[in-house]
Parts: sequence; structure tokens; C-alpha cells
Amino acid sequence: MAIINTYHLSKIYNPDTVPVHALRDVSLEFEEGEFTTVKGPSGSGKTTLLNMIGGLDVPTEGYVEIEGTRITDMKESKLIKFRLNNIGFVFQAYNLIPVFTAYENVSFIMLLQKREKSEMKQRAEELLTAVGLKDKFHSRPKELSGGEQQRVAVARSLASRPKFILADEPTANLDTKSAMNLLDLMETMNREEKVTFIFSTHDQRVIDRARRVITMVDGAIQSDEKTSG
Amino acid sequence: MLLTISWRNIWRHPGRSGVLIGSIIAGVWAGVMISALTNGLLEQRFNNMIDTQLTHLQVHHPEFLTERESQMFIPGAQSILDELNRDPRVFSATGRTLVDGMVQSPLTTAGVQIRGFSDKTERKTTTFHENITEGVFPGDGIRNPILIGEELSEKIKTEIGNRVVLTFQDIDNELTSASFTVSGTFKTSSAPYDEANVFVRSKDLSGLMADSTIYHEIAVMLVQEEIADSLAIELNGSFDGIHAETWYELSPELRYLTDFGSSMTLYVMIVIMLALAFGILNTMLMAIFERMKELGMLMSVGMSKMRVFFMIMIEAVILSFTGAATGMAVAWGSVMLLAENGLDLSGVGGDSLAEFGYEAIIYPVVTQGDFVTTAVLVVTTAILAAIYPAIKALRMNPGEIIRQ
Repeated sequence: MAIINTYHLSKIYNPDTVPVHALRDVSLEFEEGEFTTVKGPSGSGKTTLLNMIGGLDVPTEGYVEIEGTRITDMKESKLIKFRLNNIGFVFQAYNLIPVFTAYENVSFIMLLQKREKSEMKQRAEELLTAVGLKDKFHSRPKELSGGEQQRVAVARSLASRPKFILADEPTANLDTKSAMNLLDLMETMNREEKVTFIFSTHDQRVIDRARRVITMVDGAIQSDEKTSG
Repeated sequence: MLLTISWRNIWRHPGRSGVLIGSIIAGVWAGVMISALTNGLLEQRFNNMIDTQLTHLQVHHPEFLTERESQMFIPGAQSILDELNRDPRVFSATGRTLVDGMVQSPLTTAGVQIRGFSDKTERKTTTFHENITEGVFPGDGIRNPILIGEELSEKIKTEIGNRVVLTFQDIDNELTSASFTVSGTFKTSSAPYDEANVFVRSKDLSGLMADSTIYHEIAVMLVQEEIADSLAIELNGSFDGIHAETWYELSPELRYLTDFGSSMTLYVMIVIMLALAFGILNTMLMAIFERMKELGMLMSVGMSKMRVFFMIMIEAVILSFTGAATGMAVAWGSVMLLAENGLDLSGVGGDSLAEFGYEAIIYPVVTQGDFVTTAVLVVTTAILAAIYPAIKALRMNPGEIIRQ
């Protein structure tokens, strides 16, 4: 069953000055439980596509539906709430809250969701343990390595029990070992918790693990292939 | 949650936050101190004027203050004094005989206002006797004693024990002269006053001006200053041929001075608050530009713009409140320190203040209201100054920031 649909998405930046076509007529469908990579060279429109799916940017043409809800028409306040409860984000630069510990970074999202304190505690501990950071609950981001920070970011993205996770170049700043560990972790989450992952990347290590690879060039879909992962 | 994140954000850069808090402390301290010293200066001036001579309320012949004629004395002054002394709202009342004249020493003469006091009631009504620096007044066994200001004493080259001649008009407009013996000198905080006034006994002066005791002025000190207005109305309605006036009618400049002091303090506070506002604005803008990605992330993952707005506002309020509370504590300590001995400006030209009727040692006066006003001003300034950076943060497009 498709949980995400994009219909003829186009995005033109600076339409009045120097128009840049970031997306050209992109129509895609994502099924629940997918482990998908959107690949392509820099400037091919990968991040723009993920931002559209995540409701962080609005298309010039076309629209995005998540489980039948057209998010491109939503008011900003509703969209923020929608993102909170339905979408998890993993960013290239981790983007953790530096003044919070790993535990607080993970539980912060649940706090925004106004979850019960006991549930919050249990989930945050479970997730941090699952990402292998049982001993780092009270460490702040600056006390963690890049790989560990990205693990906290993954745990944070899962904390809200989202329908899917958008990961923008999650391994770009990681060494091989950390990247492989992170991919193992996300694969496990995908397999065991049935979490849908959509990556944007040009990292071959990620592409090799994906079960679906979408290739973009100059804002358009060049190919969309199912692989063995 | 917002409180925790805001508090920790502040201490992300302890140096920067410390400098801002330090500047708030300095601003609040300066504001409170300026306010306290201005209050002190004005209160001293006010008390000097009210306690030493003006009193809360005075009664005169309706035209005396404009014409200053000897024959314009208060008709039936003693019955008014008796009435006032029976009134429980009145702390004390005293009669004064006043006339303009000349004082003549063997060397020179000077124009003065001759003020005839009833020693016993004057001492109860005013604190003028505390200004006597040398000698006594009236002095036992001295015939026609006179108290003169130190300034005048130097001007007419006379000393205690010397004789001077006072010349003035009696109630029949006849020139009268009499010899008086300098029994003491006085010094108030106003040098011009000391040079232009001499004090004699009311009965001596009355005896030279008329056949009986006459008073040109009744000075009334009240238990509560606030009732001066209503009592003046009562007196004007009860007695004919008199005009009772409150201190602020008699000395509007004193009232203007009090108002001016409050206004000046307010203007100074506004300047301090403006400087504070720019400091907060600058710090909050820096904090926001530096945390663009983080704020973008917060909005991306589902933190509402309203929460982001409040987070920034809370940061500004905590910063300013920490600074304001510390600043007020420091200011309170400084005021307490100066309360005992005052701030002595005599070494830095403060003596010249006496030329304008002020004292060289200022005792700061600070009220709870001053602290509350300062706190409210600081927090309001912080909130206003933080609105622009907070709105700036709200206008961010999270997708664009993340992409950058």
C-alpha cells in the first residue's frame, strides 16, 4: 500500500531572476516498509524532493499526499503538527540540540507530542539502547563522535513513531565503520519495526543496501529500480 | 521544557551572556543609584524647605505676600493660633512677624528680611534652631537678640556680641530703628537665604512696629501633609481677612522641582533602557543567526513557531531578569552603604550646591516602588527588544535553512 504519493512535482527557484529548475515533473509512489535511496549528483534535486515529501518546502507545481492527505495544501501550523506526528528526519549534519543530552534529544520530540513521562522515558531508553548508546544517555553532542551523534539523530527520528523517515545524506560525514554501523541499525529498524526509510545520497555504501534506487538527474527521474538490497 | 532549553541556551556562551548580564547589572545599578541620589537630593531640599521654614501650611493677610506691607498683619492671629493648636490634625503652629528692612553694622549695610520668631512654638514647629552654628538664640539676659546668617556676618563684618541696627517701617509706615545684639549665627543649605534673612524675637519686633503683638504669618506643621489642602479650605472659610495656602501654593518651584526630579529620573532610565534594548537586540540576533540550523531543525521536526518564539523571548527575559535582580541587589547594597554617611560631594565642588539651596552631602533615598519600576522597565525592555529577533526566527523557512 502506498503511503506517499508525489504528483507531477516541479520546483523552480528564483523564477523571476535566474530560474533554477530543481524538480521537473516528479511523480513517485512509496510503499510502507520501503528502504529506498534517491541518488544522483549534487544539484540533481534529491534534497529538494525529500524536502517536498517532508513538507519543508512547497512545490511550484504538483502536490504531495501522505496516506491520502495532501500536505502541500496544509496551513503551516497544521503542517508542523503533521510533521511532528508522521515524519522523522535525519540530517547530514546531525543537527542535535547541543545543550541537551542524548537522552533529552530523543525525549524532546515526545515532549512536543505531549506523551506521558513514563512512556517517554521507556521509549527514549529503548531507542538509545537499540542504537548502541546505552552508556551515553547523559552525554551531550560535543562529547559524542560523529557516528554516535548520527545514531542519536536516528533514535530521535524514531521516537515520535513516524510513518516514515527521511534521511538526507545521513552517512556523508561518517567514516566507513560508522556508516556501516548506522546502515545496519537502520536496516534492522526497517526490518523489525517496519519503518519506511527514504534516503537521499550519493554514497555507494547506502545505495548498495537499498532495495529500491531512484536516480535523479537535473531534477527529473532518470530511473527507478527495485534491487536485492 | 522551554524554560530548560532557554536557560541552557543562555549558558551556551557564558562569556557573551555574562557581558550582557554585566551590562544590565551596570544599567540597573546606575538607574537605581541616579534615582536614589535624585530622590535624596530632592527630599533633603524638600525637608529643608518644609521643616526649617516653609511648613505644610501658612496663613497670611490676603495681600501680604504680594505687597509685603507692615500693616498687612493677620487680624485676630491669636484666636487662629488657639484654634489650630486645639486641632488634633495639627502638629504645631507658630506666629511670625515679618518685615523688610536694613541691617547696619559699623562698617556697612545690607537689605534683609527681618523675621520675628516666637522661640518656644517655632522650635516645636520647625527645625530652624538646628541651623544655629555658633552662639545662642534668643539667649538669656540679652536685650534685643538677633541671629544672623554666616554669610551675612561676613558680608557686614560683624561677630557675636556686636551690635547692629535694624531699620524698617512700622504699621503706620513710619521708619523705625533699633539696636540689636548678635547672639548667634546660623547656616542653612541655601547661601542666598543665609545672606538675606535675620531672626529676632517676635515680641521685640512687634513692640517696635505696633502697640501689641502682631503676626504676619502663621506657620502650621501638620500630622499628615496630605490634609494641607482641606485644612486651608477650612481656615479660609472659618476666618475673615486671611488667606491660608499650602506649601505647594506658597512655593510652586518646590513642587516643580519634585516633579522635575521624577521626570529627570524617568528620562535617565529611558536612556539606560535604550542602551539595554540595543544590547539585548544585538545579543539575541547573534544568538539566532548562530543557531539558524538548529532553529530550522526544531521547526522541521515539529516544534511550533509559537514555541520557538517563546523560547527566544524566555531567553531574553531570563537574561534581563538575572541582570536586573543582581543589579538591584548591588544597588540596594550601595544605597545601604551610603545611607549612613551619605555621598560627600564637597571635595568635588559640591559646596557650590549650597548656592542653589542643596546640601553637599547627599543621602540616597530609594523606595520599593523604585525597585519595582526598574524591574518592570527592564523586563518590558527585554521583551520589546527580543520581539524583533524572535520574529526574525519565525520568518525562517526550515527547508531552506536545512538545505543551506
